[in-house]
Amino acid sequence: MSELKMTVETRLPKLSTLSLVTMGLLMALQLVIKSFSVGPAFLKFSFTFLVAALVARLFGPWWGMMTAAVVDVIGTLMSGGPFFIGFTISAVLGSLIYALFLYGKPVSWPRLIIAQVIISVVVNALLNTLWVAIMYKTPFWGLFPVRLLKQVIMTPIQVVLLYALFKSHIVNLIQKRLNL
Amino acid sequence: MSNFIFGRYLPLNSVVHRLDPRAKLLLSFCYIGLVFMANNLVSYLIIIAFTLGSILASKISLGFFLKGIRPLIWLIVFTVVLQLLFSPVGGHVYFHWAFVNITQFGLVNSGYIFIRFLLIIMMSTLLTLSTQPLDIATGLASLMKPLRWVRVPVDTLAMMLSIALRFVPTLMDEANKIMNAQRARGVDFGEGGLLKQAKSLIPLMVPLFMSAFNRAEDLSTAMEARGYQDSEHRSQYRILTWQRRDTITWIIFVVAFAAILATRRW
Repeated sequence: MSELKMTVETRLPKLSTLSLVTMGLLMALQLVIKSFSVGPAFLKFSFTFLVAALVARLFGPWWGMMTAAVVDVIGTLMSGGPFFIGFTISAVLGSLIYALFLYGKPVSWPRLIIAQVIISVVVNALLNTLWVAIMYKTPFWGLFPVRLLKQVIMTPIQVVLLYALFKSHIVNLIQKRLNL
Repeated sequence: MSNFIFGRYLPLNSVVHRLDPRAKLLLSFCYIGLVFMANNLVSYLIIIAFTLGSILASKISLGFFLKGIRPLIWLIVFTVVLQLLFSPVGGHVYFHWAFVNITQFGLVNSGYIFIRFLLIIMMSTLLTLSTQPLDIATGLASLMKPLRWVRVPVDTLAMMLSIALRFVPTLMDEANKIMNAQRARGVDFGEGGLLKQAKSLIPLMVPLFMSAFNRAEDLSTAMEARGYQDSEHRSQYRILTWQRRDTITWIIFVVAFAAILATRRW
C-alpha cells in the first residue's frame, strides 16, 4: 500500500529506496555502456537503448522520461559533446515510446517490433537528423537517407536484443526482487 | 573504450576552472543560441573572439580541443562538401558541371559552417575539460530547481544522479574485470561481423546488470540503515556560491550577444 501512496509534492507513486537506487545504478550503467560500442566508425552502435528500455519497462513512462533526460544531458556534457535540447527531447520521446509499449504489459514480438520501429524511424532517423540540420546547418535531405539506412540495419538487431533482455532470467529475477 | 567519459577533466587552476558550475552550464547552453544568431563576417568574428578568449583564459592547450572534434569529423566533412557542391547560384561561379556548382557564395557559406562546427564543439569541450563531473551534477541539480513548480521530483532525480556518478567508475572497473574474465574463457570482444560482435557482449551485459542490481540492493539497505527516508526533507552539504567573476563573465557574454544582434544581417 505504501507503494501506491502518492506524495503530495510530486503526484508520482512514492519510490522505495531500492527503486531509487536501482534507477541510479541503471543510469550509471547507461553512462558506462555508452563507451562500449561495436561496429565500424560510420555504423557505431551502442547498447544504451537496452538500459533505457529496461527503466521504461520497470518504472514506467514518468521515471523513464525523467531519467532519460538527465542521462542525456549529463552524458553529453561529460563526453564533451555539444549540448542541444533537441537530442534530450529525442531521448525523452524514446523512453516514452518504450514505456507505452512495454510498461506493465507482457513482452511480445509485435510490441517490441512496433516500439522499436517507431523509435528508429521517427526519433532516431527523422528527429535526430532534424536536430543535426538545425544545429550545424547540415542539409537535411542529404543526411536523412544515410541515417535511415543505418537505422534499417540496426532495428532488427535492436529488436532481437531487447527480446533477449526482457525474456532473460536476470531481468525476471530483478523484477521479482524489486517487487514491482 | 577510447573516449572514456570521466578523467577528461583537466585539473588546472584558471579563471574558467574556478567559475561557478551553474554559470558555466547556463553559458554553454546559451552559447549555442549565440552561434545560431551569427550570419555574417562581423558576427562570426565576435563569436570567435569570445570563444578564443574563453579558451585562453582556461589555460588549456589547443590540442585537447582538436581531440573533441575527431568524433564529429565525418559529419563536418559531409556537411561542408554538400554545402560546397550544391549551393544555390550566387556570386562568381568557379566551376560548373551538371547540377554541381562551386560558387563564391557556396565557398563562403561552407567556410561559415565549418567555423560553426568548430565553435560549438570547442565550447562544449571547454566546459567538460574545466569542470569536474560532480560539479556539473551539482550545478545541473541546482538549475533544475524551478522545475519543482511543475511537480518534477528534482531532489529525487538529483539523488539518482549523484548515485549514478559515484558508480560510473566502479561499474567501469567491473565491466573491465568481467571482460578480462570472459576473455580468459575464450570470448573475443570486438571481432567478427556486427551480429557476432553484438552477441559477444551478452557475457558482459548479463553479469553487469546483475552486479549493478546487487549493488543497488546493498546500497539501499545501507542508506535506510543510516536514516534515509525520502529525498525532499534533507539539508545540503555541497553548496555552490555565485561570485563576482561569474557575474562579470555573464556581462561579457551579454555584451557579445548584443553586439551580434546589432551586427546581424536581417
